[in-house]
Amino acid sequence: MVYNRKLDTCDAYSRGLSSQLGGSILVKAKELLEDAVGKKVLLLANEAIARGVLEAGVRLVALYPGTPSSEIGNALYQMAPHIPNFYFEFSANEKVALEVAGAAAVAGVRSMMVCKGPGLNVAADPFFSLAYVGVRAGMVIVVADDPSMWSSQNENDSRYYALMGSMPMIEPSDPIEAKSLLLEAYEISERLELPVLFRTTTRVNHSRAGVEFGPIRDRPEHVSFEKDPYRFVPVPAVARKRHPWLLRQMEKARKISEETPLNFIVGDGDLGIIVSGVAYTYVLESLSTMGIEAAVLKLGMTNPVPEEKIANFLRSHKDVLIVEELEPFLETHARRIAQRENIDVRIVGKEDGYFPRVYEYSPRIVMEALAKITTCNTPIDWTNVEERKRSLPALPPRPPLLCPGCPHRATYYAIRVATRGKAIYPSDIGCYTLSIAPPLETADILFDMGSSITTACGIAQVTGQDVVASIGDSTFFASGLPGLVNAVYNRHPIALVVLDNRTTAMTGHQPHPGTGVTGMQETVSPIDIEQVCRGLGVEYVKTVNPFDSLAKLVAEVREMLKWIRENHAPAVLISREPCALLTAAERRRSGESPPPYYVDPDLCTACRRCLDRLACPAMYMERETGKAVIDETLCNVCGVCVDVCPKGAIKQREE
Amino acid sequence: MSGIGRNTSVLNIVISGVGGQGVLTLAEVLSRAALRSGHNVRVGEIHGMAQRGGHVVCTVRIGSGAYGPIVDPGSGHLLVGFEPVETLREVHLIRHDGLIVMNTHIQYPVAVSMGEAEYPDMSVVNESLHRFAGRVIELDAMDLAETAGSPRSMNMVMMGAVIATGFVPVSREIALEVVASSFPGRFREINTRAFEAGFSAISAAMRG
Repeated sequence: MVYNRKLDTCDAYSRGLSSQLGGSILVKAKELLEDAVGKKVLLLANEAIARGVLEAGVRLVALYPGTPSSEIGNALYQMAPHIPNFYFEFSANEKVALEVAGAAAVAGVRSMMVCKGPGLNVAADPFFSLAYVGVRAGMVIVVADDPSMWSSQNENDSRYYALMGSMPMIEPSDPIEAKSLLLEAYEISERLELPVLFRTTTRVNHSRAGVEFGPIRDRPEHVSFEKDPYRFVPVPAVARKRHPWLLRQMEKARKISEETPLNFIVGDGDLGIIVSGVAYTYVLESLSTMGIEAAVLKLGMTNPVPEEKIANFLRSHKDVLIVEELEPFLETHARRIAQRENIDVRIVGKEDGYFPRVYEYSPRIVMEALAKITTCNTPIDWTNVEERKRSLPALPPRPPLLCPGCPHRATYYAIRVATRGKAIYPSDIGCYTLSIAPPLETADILFDMGSSITTACGIAQVTGQDVVASIGDSTFFASGLPGLVNAVYNRHPIALVVLDNRTTAMTGHQPHPGTGVTGMQETVSPIDIEQVCRGLGVEYVKTVNPFDSLAKLVAEVREMLKWIRENHAPAVLISREPCALLTAAERRRSGESPPPYYVDPDLCTACRRCLDRLACPAMYMERETGKAVIDETLCNVCGVCVDVCPKGAIKQREE
Repeated sequence: MSGIGRNTSVLNIVISGVGGQGVLTLAEVLSRAALRSGHNVRVGEIHGMAQRGGHVVCTVRIGSGAYGPIVDPGSGHLLVGFEPVETLREVHLIRHDGLIVMNTHIQYPVAVSMGEAEYPDMSVVNESLHRFAGRVIELDAMDLAETAGSPRSMNMVMMGAVIATGFVPVSREIALEVVASSFPGRFREINTRAFEAGFSAISAAMRG
């Protein structure tokens, strides 16, 4: 039934990446490598950052993919083998990545670590130590926050890490600054011997603009590590000396912040506005659209803030708006500075309700605040637009779903049937969290990467209910291992299903330690999940293919649960089948595809079992007859629906 | 630097569809063509979760007044809809004098297949669209794409359609050049045919 199951992994991954990213990434990677000073190319800010890696002479980049930062790694993965003296890796997780990159900068080469907001939480431990010991060559930590939570479990504001850890911070506002400020960040890092936090948000990372190429900088082949343990090993006696050093460096950083052209004033007027990040573009658009005169203090370096510059700005305006997404970070600084300097100014921000503390901003939010403070009308009557919007008919929702042909759909279908929907289903971070939606409904609890295993432990201990946790292959390697050790050693009676789709699917098909491909596109031995589980002491481990037979899959889940009840210990079932998008890309490349499936209308009784229980997006109901139909343009030819139909009405066409 | 001039010269395009239909690729190709034609461009996209068969919306902003990626409600000049319900979902973004170009091919959401939600009648979709925008032009882009050689070329049918509206300051020649250079060789021919099909369909409708 399953066609071409043995995908050549190496090929599948390198091609998987390119074919999933719009088909034009191959052209783009080649262009990003061009030594063409002055050339203007349309780039995503993430691609501009990847180009910046070349222009800054960065020797090593380590990261774990996380949207909205993922395309930085995707671009570097395509570029890496073609850059002399360059090393790139998809690390096992963000903590690992920060340690790898941190050590390279300590050794004396420019390095970079990249993560999404929650990824910096994973890397928080080395983050704080790294600021104490400092670096010998420039280092930048790119963190991409996600206001509005387009693809994250929270919208935590990473700027507080810079404040708490005493690390200089830079915030670009668009794709052009994503590269130009990155180059500045490396200069500042080297002047201070400190890593620099380079904080972006989704609307910066995922914006495109014309970006001009600069010269490419050479990288050293090797440096030698010069020992200095009383700096780089922060035992208490060392750490006690390093903290005052760090504060002295931050005072130097403040002087840089006062003088740097990254913090500048544009425009003039009685009204003052302090702004950072993408909100700067909204402020410019709002002022020009509404014809309002104002002085705008744009901060590109936001830790330490330029205390004197802000004080002078507050002194010279009666009203100062603070426009920043998420937390009142700059606002708190402004209020603190005004109090300390005894400045008579009205600070308008989040604390008195002019701006929201949740979700991303838009020009509209800025214009509404401006209209309120200047008592004029907004250029568009948004109340009227909202009213007309409410008068629209109710639209059917279209949330993101598991793709047609996704192997996870078969696995979750089987888990649900085997447990009659009555077990508790701890989930994890990846495409498979989408099983939260009906009819699969197999996601009950989730905290963070790897929490499926550990939350299962907690639930099993205090409820006595059956617990079936699921985790993806990439997440298993990233954060699942300590939880599994915990489950084995403390004998937690949990079932763990590893959804091994041979890639990091959700973030755009990056390789991971189980795939056999590195960030340098080298072929290596993949780490086998079944062997890992056995090595960690899991007594019950089995590998199945979710497309073999649904009935067999259901029986496997039941058998696993029976074993757990009898043995009171964790069991692992690995459900292994490549991501449907990789399979589809491979078929497009080879030009060979298995014959399509169809519903025989003579046999279909319109019982709706396939539509209601499997709910594959490639199937829909024929309006007149109520019978199921397969949309061949969407179908990925997995054939799972054949097993779901009680009448045998779903068939594959003859070759 | 001083003085923020009053500059509202910007063309706002909103592209709305279903993840997998090629919305992001159209935005990229269209904005490359605009940059090639010498214009300032900003593109706003959302990746990740949005690409898994869910609703996707992209913005392309062209002109010296474009600083950020966002198009506010009531400020879009052109709404490009890849699917009827997804067009309607973003219709509040369009200006009352704006133009909507919509693919009429329906892709049923799973909630409809499961019988948990109704897909609105096309007459209701049309009437609702007209409440927001002066002009709505329809085409069956799926049909044109299949004729061109692949349903996956539907986004290039829409590219041809967008250029044919005359709203975008990009010539047909430059658009075709960018379409050809953005994809590997074997897709070039199909994509070019798809572009031409979309261009002809909308040229005729704009005249009519």
